[in-house]
Amino acid sequence: MNTRTLSLALVVAAIALGAALPAAAQKKGGTLTYTFHPEPTAMSTISTTAVPVSLVASKIYESLLDYEGPGMKPLPGLAESWTVSKDNLVYTFKLRKGVTWHDGKPFTSEDVKFSIEKVVTPFHSRGKTYFGEVSAIETPDAHTVVFRLKSPVPYFLRAFQASESPIMPMHGFTAEEIKEGKIRTAKIMQAPVGTGPFKLKEWKKGSHVILERHPGYWKAGKPYLDQVVLRVIPDGAARAIAIEKGEVDLAPMSGLPPAEAQRLGRLPGITASQEGNEGLGPIMWLEVNNRSKPLADVAVRQAISLAIDRKRLVDVIWYGQGKPASGPIVSGNPNHYDKKLGPLEYNVDKANKLLDAAGYKRGKDGVRFKLTQNFLPYGEEWVRQAEFIKQELRKIGIQVETQSLDMGGWLKRIYTDWNYDFTSNFTHNYPDPTIGVQRAFISTNIRRGATFSNSMDYANVKLDALFVKAAQTADGPARNKIWEEIQAILRNDLPVIFLMEISYTHVWNKRVHGLITNGVSMYSSWDSVWVD
Amino acid sequence: MRGGTVRFVLRRLAQLVPVVLAIAALNFALAKMAPGDAADILAGQMGHATLEFTQQLRREFGLDLPIVEQFLAYMGRTARLDLGVSVIQQQPVIELIADRLPATLLLMVTALVLAIATGVALGVAAARRQGTWIDNLISVSALLVYATPAFWLGLMLIVFFSIRLDLLPSGGMMQIGVAQTAVGKVLDVARHLILPAATLGLFYAAVYARLMRASMLEVYGLDFITTARAKGLSEGVIAWTHALRNALLPVVTLAGMQVGHLLGGSVLIETVFGWPGLGRLVFDALVQRDLNLLLGILFVSSVVVVLVNLVVDLIYGLLDPRITHK
Amino acid sequence: MNALRVFWRRFRNNRAAVGGLVALVAVVALSVAGPMFYPVDPFDMVGQPSVPPGGEQILGTDVAGRDLLAGLIHGGRVSLLIGFMASLAATLVGLVLGAVAGYYGGRVDDVIMRTTEFFLTIPSFVLAVVLVAIFSPTILHITAAIAVVSWPSVARLARAEFLAHRDREYVQGCRAIGMPDREIILLQILPNALPPVIVVSSLMVATAILTESGLSFLGLGDPNQVSWGYMIGVARSVLRTAWWMAAIPGAMIVVTVLAINLVGEGLNDALNPRLKQR
Repeated sequence: MNTRTLSLALVVAAIALGAALPAAAQKKGGTLTYTFHPEPTAMSTISTTAVPVSLVASKIYESLLDYEGPGMKPLPGLAESWTVSKDNLVYTFKLRKGVTWHDGKPFTSEDVKFSIEKVVTPFHSRGKTYFGEVSAIETPDAHTVVFRLKSPVPYFLRAFQASESPIMPMHGFTAEEIKEGKIRTAKIMQAPVGTGPFKLKEWKKGSHVILERHPGYWKAGKPYLDQVVLRVIPDGAARAIAIEKGEVDLAPMSGLPPAEAQRLGRLPGITASQEGNEGLGPIMWLEVNNRSKPLADVAVRQAISLAIDRKRLVDVIWYGQGKPASGPIVSGNPNHYDKKLGPLEYNVDKANKLLDAAGYKRGKDGVRFKLTQNFLPYGEEWVRQAEFIKQELRKIGIQVETQSLDMGGWLKRIYTDWNYDFTSNFTHNYPDPTIGVQRAFISTNIRRGATFSNSMDYANVKLDALFVKAAQTADGPARNKIWEEIQAILRNDLPVIFLMEISYTHVWNKRVHGLITNGVSMYSSWDSVWVD
Repeated sequence: MRGGTVRFVLRRLAQLVPVVLAIAALNFALAKMAPGDAADILAGQMGHATLEFTQQLRREFGLDLPIVEQFLAYMGRTARLDLGVSVIQQQPVIELIADRLPATLLLMVTALVLAIATGVALGVAAARRQGTWIDNLISVSALLVYATPAFWLGLMLIVFFSIRLDLLPSGGMMQIGVAQTAVGKVLDVARHLILPAATLGLFYAAVYARLMRASMLEVYGLDFITTARAKGLSEGVIAWTHALRNALLPVVTLAGMQVGHLLGGSVLIETVFGWPGLGRLVFDALVQRDLNLLLGILFVSSVVVVLVNLVVDLIYGLLDPRITHK
Repeated sequence: MNALRVFWRRFRNNRAAVGGLVALVAVVALSVAGPMFYPVDPFDMVGQPSVPPGGEQILGTDVAGRDLLAGLIHGGRVSLLIGFMASLAATLVGLVLGAVAGYYGGRVDDVIMRTTEFFLTIPSFVLAVVLVAIFSPTILHITAAIAVVSWPSVARLARAEFLAHRDREYVQGCRAIGMPDREIILLQILPNALPPVIVVSSLMVATAILTESGLSFLGLGDPNQVSWGYMIGVARSVLRTAWWMAAIPGAMIVVTVLAINLVGEGLNDALNPRLKQR
């Protein structure tokens, strides 16, 4: 071959190679610094599933499955593959071989059985919801786990998220901790040992958490990042400054005051995103006490719903970070949301006519009746919203007196005393509406002292039956039909006034890539995140 | 005199124990009146907790025991100086307090020193030049500052020095992320300390200035000053040595009595400046019904106040004979 | 009547006090008559958010587009109402307890003094926060909470006064002629003990207003009312871009509190002239 042919061959080879390389190459190495307040109190979601812990623990621990996209499609995780029996009562998982814990010991099926049976089910806040129907967990060999269910659980495969069912090492607990059930306060909660892409390097309370990459991680070549660092910055404005100056890369889960998030998102080097939350499905409504007149009257509730300008609520009070709600399920949920629905109607005239027709005449001062309003004491925006609702309801002749309570007082008043007219409330759909939606509206969950339960005293026999059926039908078109009916009934009955799909806003520096992977992106392992 | 003082101190220290325990008991009663408990808060934080789960949390943290039992357990622990564990933060209360105490002490001591130094200096200057424009300026400024809400003053200082002039940080105790030498760290904290300490201290500086001025004027009218002047001492020496020593007493007494007040003021200042101290911690503990932490901080605070009162009484006792026997 | 005229003459001599009185009357007038001349609801979203002063709304709007001037007017009502009522309540309670403690002495005195000591070991602002959090923030509860943390200082002062007067000759004389205790306390000692209490009481109004604004700033104010402290708290999130939103209500607090302090000092000079002539 002469020189010319050689150079030509080389050029062709170079072009061919260049075409095969991705346009933007993931860079290996680097540190991702994020900030959130308050700081975590433990390193595992068994201790608490509060946001700060879910954020950090999901990098350290994993579960059997991984998930993709807003629909949360299950992918192999610690389990390489799985099969489900025809009656949906037996789930068999084949575990990955060669996985090691952060301390080097091998990961086996014993760890899975122990975690689900002795740790997750009894102590995780949603443990019984996911695994309450499990009658037995078998480990025929070191890499196989079999779950036997008493009755079908349509969302069973969605239970295996890192924050929902973290697999923890059996050898990480002392015999005494296991025997006495001192799991929530076990030492491993502060000194974690997981299988995830990052392990704990340093934790200085009040200051920072440093996670470093786990070199023995089972996904070859991952994680891309060397370190994930949490900087504790208690003040919201200071967090925003830190993002703006580039001292911090990411402020997830609405950690910044919404005005700041909106402002920063408009800057060239910063992204403010509301994606990656579909698996949490945060939704906000006015919880209405159906016991008290006149709220027991559905016409009154419908009138209230008609009187609220949800678009203005989103734009002015929440700085555009949300969407008007159309019902109990968030519109971003590709699996169960009824796409035929639109946002709830806004029509003040219609509301007034409805109240007139239902017999609630205006007095001489224009007031039809008085109501007391409570609100979730989560911060400034919730106070603004309460003030907004008060003004909106004045337009239809309802005089509202707002009562301010702190969290302890609010929980007691709404869920233990049931002593309220209406209150703003905020909850999640979670990856399946049976988990997130049912508990608010099924009549069997009218229980004193249970937070975020059916405090409204709403009991609809037809709806109850639909819920039960939906909880036992496998995911698919048949189940979706049931959820369509449920959404229609709730939209009409309005036991709560659905207001808004609140967004979790994540603000990050554009040098960070690969953050949005699925419906619980911030609670994912970030093994494929990379920085410039 | 010596023996009497020692006996006085010992007697007061012995009284301290029942007093502090009584305060601890009353604090418990007060805190328990707040609706809801830490189990509710934790369940609320997790967003989805069944009734059984909340009750389980209550059992795990001993919150389901009869209130008398809880009270006795708390008093027993407190008497042993065991402040328990924070249910919300999963850490011993002592550690949490020890973590934040230095920041609060730093803030309060700096503010107090600033306040006394400024107040005394201005008060003496105003008294020496009574009736002149300097006196009026100082008096009016003191009045203005005294009428200003500290948290608002803090915000305005942030707007001016931090936002407009970009001279000082707007909050926090240290700059995040930057690795620093020991000297660098000290300077960094000092920079962050200026605005909050000044804000907290200015109010008291105004109080002390006016008090100092009135006290100095009173002392000036006393015989021993005339004697000093007759001896030929200069006005400056008279002011800063003879008069000052005697006029200082009321200011010191007042400063001691205001330690408790300073602690209260630090809640607002620490909130405005994001200063990681006990003031903000006690507020957070209350909102989260973190009883052990709340009661622990109140306990430490009451011990401090009682001790400071004792010290002030001692100082008063020591200094007083000199004035009455002039 | 003559005493009143003497008092007024003394008060009038203090120009600063008179100035303070004028300013205070102006603030009170603004708060009382303001809503009649400017009937804008401070909670109504009348404009765009964060509009600077000088536009359609004279003083601009806050983060939710609400009129700042209306907020100022209504804030005055809340602050003044709470300030005066809390001080009044604290004075009444403190006076009664202090008088009893000072006059009777002994066990009663011990009990009352121990109680005031307890109140003085908890930082008063922290105690106010705890009380308001327990009972939920309403104007009534906030007033009560501020009164609860303020009465001890009045009690101590009243006690000192009654203690001092108890052994004076004129009181001994009254006792000798068989005058009942109640009459001695109310008709004989009280008029003499009152002047310093009045001064402390009036200065307490200022402290009460500052405390209330601090509580509102922390989010512990009555949610159905706009107060100056509340306005400052709302403005905190936009301090960077709209600093006037916090500056204006704060300035109102300074003016009002300063006016009250000046009046209080004038009262002191007028009621206790012998103290001034030292």
